[in-house]
Amino acid sequence: MRRGTSILFGVLFLTALGGCDGRHNWMAGAGEEAAAIGDLFLILMVGAAVIWSLVVGAAVYAHRRRAHPGLEREARLFVIWGGVVFPVLLIGALLVWGLFLLKGITADEGDLTVRVDGERWWWRVTYETPTGDVVTANEIRLPQGRTALFRLTADDVIHAFWVPALGGKMDMVPGRETTLALTPKKLGNWGGLCAEFCGGAHALMRFDAVVMAPDAFETWLAREAETAQVAADDPGFQVFLDEGCGACHTIRGTQAAGPVGPDLTHLAGREKLGAGLYEMTPEHMARWITDTHAMKPDIDMPPYPHLSGPRLDTLVDFLMRLE
Amino acid sequence: MPKVTRYDAPRVIDSGSIWILVAAPTIWAVHFLLSYWVAAVYCAKSGSGWLGGLTDPRWIIVGLGGLSIAAIVWLGMIAVRRYGGVFVVLEEITDSSEQGRERFIGHVALLLCALSAVAIVFTVIPGLVFDRC
Amino acid sequence: MTHEIDLSQLPPPEPYDKARDEAQRARLLQAWAAPKGWRRISAVNNSHVGKWYLLTSFAFFTFAGLLALLIRAQLAVPENDLVSQSLFNQLFTLHGTAMMFLFAVPIFEAVAILILPEILGARDLPFPRLSAFGYWCFLIGGVFVCGSIFFGVAPDGGWFMYTPLSSDPAYSGLGTDIWLLGLSFIEVSSIAAAVELIVGVLKSRPPGMRLNLMPLYCWYVLVVAGMILFAFPPLIAGDLLLEMERAFGWAFFDPDRGGDPILWQHLFWIFGHPEVYIIFLPSIALIATMLPTFAGRPMVGHSWIVLSAVGVAFLSFGLWVHHMFTTGLPEISLSFFSAASEAVAVPTGIQIFCFIATMLVSKVRPSVPMLYAGGAMAIFVFGGLTGVMVALVPFDWQAHDSYFVVAHLHYTLIGGMLFPLFAGVTYWYPFVTEKRMSDRVGKWAFWLLFGGFNLAFLPMHWTGVMGMPRRVWTYDLSDGWAVLNMVSTVGAFIFATGFAVFAVNVLWPRRNHPRVARNIWGAGTMEWSGEVPGNPWGVRSIPYVHTRYPLWEQPDLLDQMDRGEWLLPDAEEGKREMIVTDILDARPLFVQRVGGPTFLTIGAGVSLGAVFILATFHLWAITLAFGAAFVAFTLWWLWTGTAQVPEAPEKYVGRGLTLPTYAQGNRAVGWWAVFITMTGDMTAFTGLVFSYFFYWTALPSFLPGAAKLPGVLPLLIGTLLMLAAWGMTVAARGVLAQGRRGVSMALLLGAVPVGALGLGAWCWAALAAGLDPTVTSFDAMVWILILWTGLHLSLNWVMHLYVAARIGAGICQPAYRADVINLTLFGHFVAVTVAVTFVLLALFPMLMGV
Repeated sequence: MRRGTSILFGVLFLTALGGCDGRHNWMAGAGEEAAAIGDLFLILMVGAAVIWSLVVGAAVYAHRRRAHPGLEREARLFVIWGGVVFPVLLIGALLVWGLFLLKGITADEGDLTVRVDGERWWWRVTYETPTGDVVTANEIRLPQGRTALFRLTADDVIHAFWVPALGGKMDMVPGRETTLALTPKKLGNWGGLCAEFCGGAHALMRFDAVVMAPDAFETWLAREAETAQVAADDPGFQVFLDEGCGACHTIRGTQAAGPVGPDLTHLAGREKLGAGLYEMTPEHMARWITDTHAMKPDIDMPPYPHLSGPRLDTLVDFLMRLE
Repeated sequence: MPKVTRYDAPRVIDSGSIWILVAAPTIWAVHFLLSYWVAAVYCAKSGSGWLGGLTDPRWIIVGLGGLSIAAIVWLGMIAVRRYGGVFVVLEEITDSSEQGRERFIGHVALLLCALSAVAIVFTVIPGLVFDRC
Repeated sequence: MTHEIDLSQLPPPEPYDKARDEAQRARLLQAWAAPKGWRRISAVNNSHVGKWYLLTSFAFFTFAGLLALLIRAQLAVPENDLVSQSLFNQLFTLHGTAMMFLFAVPIFEAVAILILPEILGARDLPFPRLSAFGYWCFLIGGVFVCGSIFFGVAPDGGWFMYTPLSSDPAYSGLGTDIWLLGLSFIEVSSIAAAVELIVGVLKSRPPGMRLNLMPLYCWYVLVVAGMILFAFPPLIAGDLLLEMERAFGWAFFDPDRGGDPILWQHLFWIFGHPEVYIIFLPSIALIATMLPTFAGRPMVGHSWIVLSAVGVAFLSFGLWVHHMFTTGLPEISLSFFSAASEAVAVPTGIQIFCFIATMLVSKVRPSVPMLYAGGAMAIFVFGGLTGVMVALVPFDWQAHDSYFVVAHLHYTLIGGMLFPLFAGVTYWYPFVTEKRMSDRVGKWAFWLLFGGFNLAFLPMHWTGVMGMPRRVWTYDLSDGWAVLNMVSTVGAFIFATGFAVFAVNVLWPRRNHPRVARNIWGAGTMEWSGEVPGNPWGVRSIPYVHTRYPLWEQPDLLDQMDRGEWLLPDAEEGKREMIVTDILDARPLFVQRVGGPTFLTIGAGVSLGAVFILATFHLWAITLAFGAAFVAFTLWWLWTGTAQVPEAPEKYVGRGLTLPTYAQGNRAVGWWAVFITMTGDMTAFTGLVFSYFFYWTALPSFLPGAAKLPGVLPLLIGTLLMLAAWGMTVAARGVLAQGRRGVSMALLLGAVPVGALGLGAWCWAALAAGLDPTVTSFDAMVWILILWTGLHLSLNWVMHLYVAARIGAGICQPAYRADVINLTLFGHFVAVTVAVTFVLLALFPMLMGV
């Protein structure tokens, strides 16, 4: 048993070494909340390893040694001290620590407020600014060092909002509003996920959480607030309207004002397509329009397989200009 | 024909002793649910003034904890006095007699009192840490 | 004249007489022999039903394990398309569902039914036919739920079926109905088993086995069966609400109509967390039973283990919200549950320390069962430690719904349940088959299982840290999860190989192997007292037990039992009999006749199964027909099998003891069965009451204006009528005792229309207020409470007619009136239901000033 265990520890150690990058890593320390929880985890992990070794070691020792019935008194006291007193004190201390940590990482208000609404299977994102709401989707940009308060809702089923590298997760429950505070520390494009199973394409409900320098963030937000610059006779926009895309999607500043699907006003400015799934390239865009369900099964958006050739190119070209 | 022997009906509640086994954990359960309920109702209804006039929930929870532990101490005394419960660690109670059975139950009841008291203290801790919902 | 007797002062046995012994054995054999050929399925004896139960549970385990292998195969590499998204969602839902509901809980019942009577030195449990009925329910329900995947309609909402994903037919299809109705049906069998096991432990102990001498296994069974009784009913209440919303559009979980999806999570996890301990404790009980055998000495800290079992049982009911730490509940509420989740580690740990202490003071014989037990401990302690971690709210915010939790739960369940179970299978295999499993193959299986398990699940913690959420069917190479997943998949297949080796070792035909020696491991507990080769009756005579380890501490006991020197050595009347003893000191009370082979239980199980299956497809007319068939089978079963008037009021059982052959009131096992069942029923009702107050707490406008409330006057009249009907039932019991059979029958028959009028008044009150259950949660709540009361009253009426008929037929008599006493007991519980419902419908809204 001993040899097997050491091999297993080795495996854990190697994977631990190999696993410190990764855009979804809790231990990346990219947010203050994640870092606080990460510190807790490190201590818990070391403590658990020590206790496990002691308990299993005691069992192995007890199994291997010769019988000493004279030790009955010691064995019984071992139950009291090892099995009762020590755990009560240790666990009590842990509980108090956990409670204070919880108190520390929750907040009622932040430097900015972002409303996120979980949909099957994408994210409707609304920044609350003094000049009004700024609506976008599937990508959340955050200023470094500022606490963002997320107000989370859902329309259809329960989802959960999670950016592991920045902090803990929070459910999005229909009929309720939950909140989560995140304070990013490290610049970068961190992964966001839906953590609560929401049926169908749950696995493909992702987003990018991009942490930016505060100045760059302000610039981006101001640009995001603008309407799209679309010429009335833009041929791509005509295809967009003819195919009925505007019934579901909004492009602010045009007559396309569908409330169902993601807002496309600055679609091409996002890094990913399909709720955090595919690089934003014309090729992916063309495939997304014509063969939607192969890229993301079960979603509400219907595929447009009849679109091809120049008509498709025009539409893709138009969409890729929505920056 | 052999001698006919009949027995008394089982005694469970009155002269029996099952109840003392579950009494202490039940107090924990009641205290736990009350604490949860106080916090939930306080948090949900404090805005509407239903309980808003009442004091800080933390002191309600601490008060409940104190009462519950007092009740458990009382139970522990019953376990000791009526059943001869002892805090033995170093012996097993294996006498085949009514007295042996009573002592065993008193003993386990005493242990459960201790465990329940610890669990109640654990439940009080969040009440002390949090002063808001 | 009653008086106490000292069991240790019984008169000596009659001298041994070989001819008498053989004649007694022949009569016992005739009474206890199982039917032959295909009729064997009508057997009800615990040794048969237990074996079927065990094999069926393992079959479902194998099935669910194969699903897991498919899951692992799909996740082995990124962007895999081995299975589709839709199939994957069905795979993990069915894997969790089958493992939890069709393996982990039933295997406890299976093992307990198989070994508990023998540990108690009893010939069977008090309600063998109930066990058989439970088994058939389990088999039918399990096949129905599992079979659905072959038609592509398996449940696909995750094994905890969160609403609204599961409640809105727009998001989930037939699979959810299959899950709901199939599992409700299986829960029936779990509760049946719980009733059987509680009464078994409390009332079927051998004479003299006082509570302080009761084996640890029995304590665990008692505690776990009690937990089932309080944990399963809230889920049944939840299932009822969810199915009413799905099938008829009642507004329970839809926030647009005043419902709340979080309510389901409460009802589910009030069941779901205790369930984890319902799974874990019985397996620890197996270790607690085996360890003294191999240590060759009694357990150190016997009473501390009892403390630990009872303590865990209670505390486990204060943990449920730790599955809901991320639902946005107030932090102070979360913290209470965090505190309880930490506290439960203390009693859990005490058991482990008692085991270690026992090993410290003895020389443990190395053996294959102990190897598995050791592996179990190494794995479980690790799972327990990660459990302490996830019980901290901030840590759980990261770990929740990630692969860290998947790893944690498999460590606790496989370490806490599966490995001890494998140890138990190896240990009790000779008890069941009289053959021995191969040690060499057993060790191979162990190392494959242990290595494969850790290879699969240890890296999975890190997969969680790397941010992989559970229940995703695919992932991208750039997520960085590929290597870890591949390792886990390899481990899973090694683990599966280990199980295959283990299964071969179990199923290998050993017809030509020699029989094992009696008590092959040198154990101290009674289940090893059976002769080899065994007999269908179990023990030859039921001994007086005055020690914790009778086979060690009561010399010559086996020979005395074999010679028929103890109690009930004969079956003069050709009936299956056992001795019922009292709860505290196990004094013999009376001789209980138990049922023999029958097809009635199969008929009842099949019809009830048909009811649930057909309801899934909304085929209401045939459903109703099968419902009637179920009632008919059950009444037939009860009429011919329970509370029979004995041919003589007393019977000589040996050693100078003569015991009654009939019991009623709280001496009788039937009374206890009703009491325990109704305690569970009350718990389900409490689930509904909880829902009512949950809505009231969570929704500011739950109580409507006065105009929308049901009228107090008709509610009051209805309540009084129903309580009057209850009073008539109580009176019927009284007058029957005085010998006035006609009046008693009249009162019973009269109670039916009176109660019906009362129920009618309630319905009228709700209708007059225009309450429509599809409109708001309040309306739906009112109607579900009325429906619940109505269901109980209907059942009550059937029983009234049944008892009246029994009085008419002369089976229920003034001297033998268990039927009417049990009916009254049921009536008391219904009366409480009526009174509480009245408070909720009329008084509480008034009190709140509406």
